[in-house]
Amino acid sequence: MEEPNPKQRATRHEAAPARRFVGPVVILVLAFASAVVYAAWPVRRPPGFHVWTFARLHHQIYVPIAEQWNLTHTPKVNLTLLSLPALEQRMLSAFLARTTSAELIEVERRAAARAFVGPLDAVGFVDLTDRIRAEKLDINPASFSPWTARGRIFGLPHDVHPVMLGYRADLVEAAGIDVSRIETWDDFFNVLRPLMDERDEEGLPKHYLLNFWDTPVHGEVVELLILQAGGALFDERGQPTLDRATNAHVLATLVSWRVGPRRVVADAPYFSASGNKLLLEGRVVASFVPDWMCNIWRFEIPQLAGKVKLMPLPAWARGGRRTSVWGGTMLGISRSATDIDGLWTFAKRLYLSRDAAHELYTRGDIITPVRSFWDDPIYDKPDPFFSGQAKGRAYIDLASQVPIRSNSPYGTLAMTEVQNALIALVAYAQRSKRYAADELTGEAARLLGLAQARVAARVARNVFLAAEPLSADVRESTP
Amino acid sequence: MRAAPGVSNSRAAWLLLAPFLVIFAVFYAYPLVRSVLLAFQQTFGPGSSRFVGLGNFRFLLSDSLFWTALWNTIVFTCGSVFIQLPLALGLALLLNRPRVRGRALFRTILFAPALVGVVFVAMMFGVIFEKRTGLLNLFLHQMFGWNLDFPWLETYVMPALILAALWQYVGFNMVYFLAALQNVPAELLEAARIDGAGSWKRFLHVVLPAIRPVGAFVVLLSIIGSFQLFELPYIMLNSTAGAENRGLTVVMYLYQTGFQIGDLGYASTIAWVLAILLIGCAAAMRALWTTEAES
Repeated sequence: MEEPNPKQRATRHEAAPARRFVGPVVILVLAFASAVVYAAWPVRRPPGFHVWTFARLHHQIYVPIAEQWNLTHTPKVNLTLLSLPALEQRMLSAFLARTTSAELIEVERRAAARAFVGPLDAVGFVDLTDRIRAEKLDINPASFSPWTARGRIFGLPHDVHPVMLGYRADLVEAAGIDVSRIETWDDFFNVLRPLMDERDEEGLPKHYLLNFWDTPVHGEVVELLILQAGGALFDERGQPTLDRATNAHVLATLVSWRVGPRRVVADAPYFSASGNKLLLEGRVVASFVPDWMCNIWRFEIPQLAGKVKLMPLPAWARGGRRTSVWGGTMLGISRSATDIDGLWTFAKRLYLSRDAAHELYTRGDIITPVRSFWDDPIYDKPDPFFSGQAKGRAYIDLASQVPIRSNSPYGTLAMTEVQNALIALVAYAQRSKRYAADELTGEAARLLGLAQARVAARVARNVFLAAEPLSADVRESTP
Repeated sequence: MRAAPGVSNSRAAWLLLAPFLVIFAVFYAYPLVRSVLLAFQQTFGPGSSRFVGLGNFRFLLSDSLFWTALWNTIVFTCGSVFIQLPLALGLALLLNRPRVRGRALFRTILFAPALVGVVFVAMMFGVIFEKRTGLLNLFLHQMFGWNLDFPWLETYVMPALILAALWQYVGFNMVYFLAALQNVPAELLEAARIDGAGSWKRFLHVVLPAIRPVGAFVVLLSIIGSFQLFELPYIMLNSTAGAENRGLTVVMYLYQTGFQIGDLGYASTIAWVLAILLIGCAAAMRALWTTEAES
């Protein structure tokens, strides 16, 4: 190929300037045009109220209510089902960036707590305290506690979630054991102990009495037992109280169940196929069952139908509390919403109406927090899955005993610390061969003291919490 | 005559670069600068920010959780570098032998796990490592009378994670080594053989120096990947850090701090410390290679 001579090269160079800008100009025009098209063609939200929920069951219950509402009301309601992590991320992003989210957001306890980290005026939910107080809603008081931050309520409670023990009635009754004699945890283990005499091929007990272990999967169980005993991880000001004597006593007792020659608990992890299999095999006789878990058992372990029954939690001391609480959901109104009154009316329709409460129980086994509906005969209906027990009535009878709990954004951290203290205490018990609760309480207190210091250091860093102490007025007037 | 086209060239270059520069400035440089600022703040969204000076960094120094996370990450990284990579090299050496039958099939089988998503691998190994019902304990119990309640996901979290990562990435790293081995000059190996060098000496003095650049690259990639470990423990341990935080890694702690506790300022501090550590690692390795290359 012939090389162009210098003159030809120069001519080509001189001719180029006009064409040289074609490329950049085309790119810029395309970029500009696509930006204009994109900006002029935004994704339009359908008009009306937008409601986000994370539970399929809730969504199924809400659809007919929303459809009925839409027949007679404007603006209309649009329901969206999101996975919990997606809902949580979208909600927090909207709250932090102060952009638009759904007007009504249904959220569970731990996710809601994340909205309470900053100053109160930056919480993305509308403060409902004055409305709730003014309307004197007949709601179980303890149900408000997880949605309360520094004395202000940011959500309408969906549930109560009392906890009972679900136990293998077939095994217990075949052994001729009468569970009505059980009042305390000591009674529980003493009465059921004969079930541990049966051995498997390895020579180990075929049945352990309670589903509990020192793994994070059982973390919620540790918290519910602490609450049942009258302990707590945080006070009403949001300050950590991990080092309470009651908490140490509970931890020491749990370890006494878990270690040594008189071990009575085994690990059947919640929400897992392996855990369900172990329940079915009877490796654990009893497990902690809040009302919502009845539904999980019903659909995930249908083979248990007619083999299980419920009993109130054994108390820590005679005359003590026979239940606790596990889980929780609220409905909050986003601060970015404009028609707060309309949303409040729909929120009450969704959560506090009789037919919604009816659906919640019949389809989800969950009892409503509205006390005036507790006389409804549906709660007295025998449940064949639970061997014909009137399960709803059993939970309602315990609902007023459900403990109050705070919902700190540091709750997960505190639970992790308590869990780690529990594991360290198990190791200490195994090392020192001290298996009695009394012998372990001192070490439990020491470990919880260290955990308390770590959580307190983290909470103390939060300049927003420190700047907003709880006012006495708010504390006294909170329902 | 020559100056004008030069100036035009320069303008054209800037015009062509402009879209990239704008995108880089908006989506990379600005967030990077903001994240530096964030490391010195406590914040709850742009509306609620307080400058805390070096408070976040001071807290990090005394934060036992951070040090636990760092230690766990280092242990996992060591597992990746000192167990996974030698194994990958061994497999590559084996499958580089022309006499081995079905080499292509073995390569495909070994590489296949790398095509599977981490989330799937984590879920699968979460089930495999279960006590009592898990495949591993059941298999070992059948073969050797192993304890069915062996707590892989409680007490032995790091070995479990290293095993899961080994399964997924050993074939991936093997492919790098295989490519490097195929580029080792055959005449050098032949010359060494004629000079009487045994297979070990040929490996040590011919193969290893020849694949060193690729090896160094794989080591660096492995270190960076290991320091970014998140999905595997997060899913295998059911969104927790495991018993006694045995599965807590630096990135997992960063996520917990930023998105579960909502302390984005402190999370940013952790991210920058991690970045500095990785930059330090890369710089140290580069210095090492340069020195070795010069010598």
